[in-house]
Amino acid sequence: MPLCAVGAETADSTTEPSIFSFSAFGTVGEVHSSEDKADFTNSIFQTNGAGYSRSWSPEVDSLIGGQISARITPELSAVVQVIAEQNYDGTYTPHVEWANIKYQFTPDLNVRIGRVELPTFLFSDTRKVGYTYPWVRPPIEVYSLLPITASDGADFSYRANFGDVTNTTQGSDVQSDTQQPNNRASAIARDSVNISNTTEYKSLTFRVSYQHARLTITSLDGFLDTFNMFGPQGVAIADKYNSDSKIVVTEVIGASYDPGHWFVISEWAHARFNSFLGEDTAWYASGGYRVGKFTPYVTYAHESAASNSDPGLTLTGLPPALAGFAAGLNAALNTILEAIPDQSTISVGARWDFAKNVDLKMQFDHTRLGAGSDGTLINIQPGFQLGSTVNLFSATIDFVF
Amino acid sequence: MWRNPRIALVSLVFTLSLGFRVVNADVVAVVSSKSPITTLSKSQVIDIFLGKRTRLPDGSSAVPIDQVEGSAARDEFYGRFAAMSAAQLKAFWAKIIFTGRGQPPMAVPTSIEAKKLLLANPNAISYIDQSLVDSSLRVVLAP
Repeated sequence: MPLCAVGAETADSTTEPSIFSFSAFGTVGEVHSSEDKADFTNSIFQTNGAGYSRSWSPEVDSLIGGQISARITPELSAVVQVIAEQNYDGTYTPHVEWANIKYQFTPDLNVRIGRVELPTFLFSDTRKVGYTYPWVRPPIEVYSLLPITASDGADFSYRANFGDVTNTTQGSDVQSDTQQPNNRASAIARDSVNISNTTEYKSLTFRVSYQHARLTITSLDGFLDTFNMFGPQGVAIADKYNSDSKIVVTEVIGASYDPGHWFVISEWAHARFNSFLGEDTAWYASGGYRVGKFTPYVTYAHESAASNSDPGLTLTGLPPALAGFAAGLNAALNTILEAIPDQSTISVGARWDFAKNVDLKMQFDHTRLGAGSDGTLINIQPGFQLGSTVNLFSATIDFVF
Repeated sequence: MWRNPRIALVSLVFTLSLGFRVVNADVVAVVSSKSPITTLSKSQVIDIFLGKRTRLPDGSSAVPIDQVEGSAARDEFYGRFAAMSAAQLKAFWAKIIFTGRGQPPMAVPTSIEAKKLLLANPNAISYIDQSLVDSSLRVVLAP
């Protein structure tokens, strides 16, 4: 395996500290889905997935990333990370995931300016580095609630030690523009304020985080504006579901216990979008046991939508021609609300650290979609059954060097 | 070369047992004997090497000196004190590196090199085979 050779060569170069250091990571994967009338993807910002687009898809998990870190002075450093993965438009043109300058005021306090990640979930800051977690991918029920991985702005990190307890507080004020597939309008997040606190005590890690942002997605504005012609009730519906600078609030609580030979990890999250994106509560619990180079694990994840439907406009009293049009609008609105994920998944899998800096993972997911929801699936085709079950098989090879 | 198979066997067993002893030798965490630090807890030492703690108990900044990937002392140290395999340790550092939050400690190829750096810097802390400890060093954590 040539990757191992590269890893072995570069590993020893860390002995001499130099200004620049280069690191890379990647995943090569294949996913098969039993559902051929919709696509399973890793993120709503992907355009093709497994199921409808392809029975077996390498596009869900495969990516490669490179990073250059520069230590300019002991206090001042910079990092640029570039990733090539399936973009919103189906291309693989590399993009700058992160680029920031960090100033270390004290060994325990730093500030970064530039493009940074948000440490919302336990694994959200390395969700694209498969080697850093036990699963093929972090449970999508929770991680899809906040799919934006890179934002522009400033953040700080402050660490304090109390006896054997390490406490790290991170805060940021950022914004982001993320392009969406199929020529849909960009997701524009502004005034995104995030705070997270991580407490580590021996093998225990506990994190709480909170995010508050204004999110604009104009892609449905034309459709929702049509409701305005139906008087106050229509205006109320348009106001409720548009995403014009709507406040998004997210709360996350996560914990992991990893004494070495086994681990348990659980996270709970709640996101309220105040728009057609709805309101979701999600959690997962996962446990694994390390037997030599093998780490078998099992995960249960659940995501429930506050609502997947709306009665829409009242049809009684409308002239027949308008009533038919209004019924059509109601149906279209409810199709949009079906996309708010509601599903549960049981996963079993194993990670095999078969060579230095390389792992192989295999995972089977059995997902039951909520009665009125598409779940996290996209590219829904005619004939797709709401509330169906989906089986996924994934195999990935992750590497770092 | 080995005319007598019994001698060959005894030699082989002896060699293997030596090898076994070296691989499983006790690795201890050490500082220079000029350091004011006398003892550290297991989690203090591990936190320093994992970058979670930057200061020694007396308030001075800690300078961890690692051994390179693949070295027996490294595997023994992290296996014994942190219950982490080489792969788990690599995954841990990948998580730090790929968020731009830091880099692993400076790493040296041998315990001898580690010892040299310890003697040059009283704030330095490293781990070496117990058999290499002499009066110039102080053991702050033993298994």
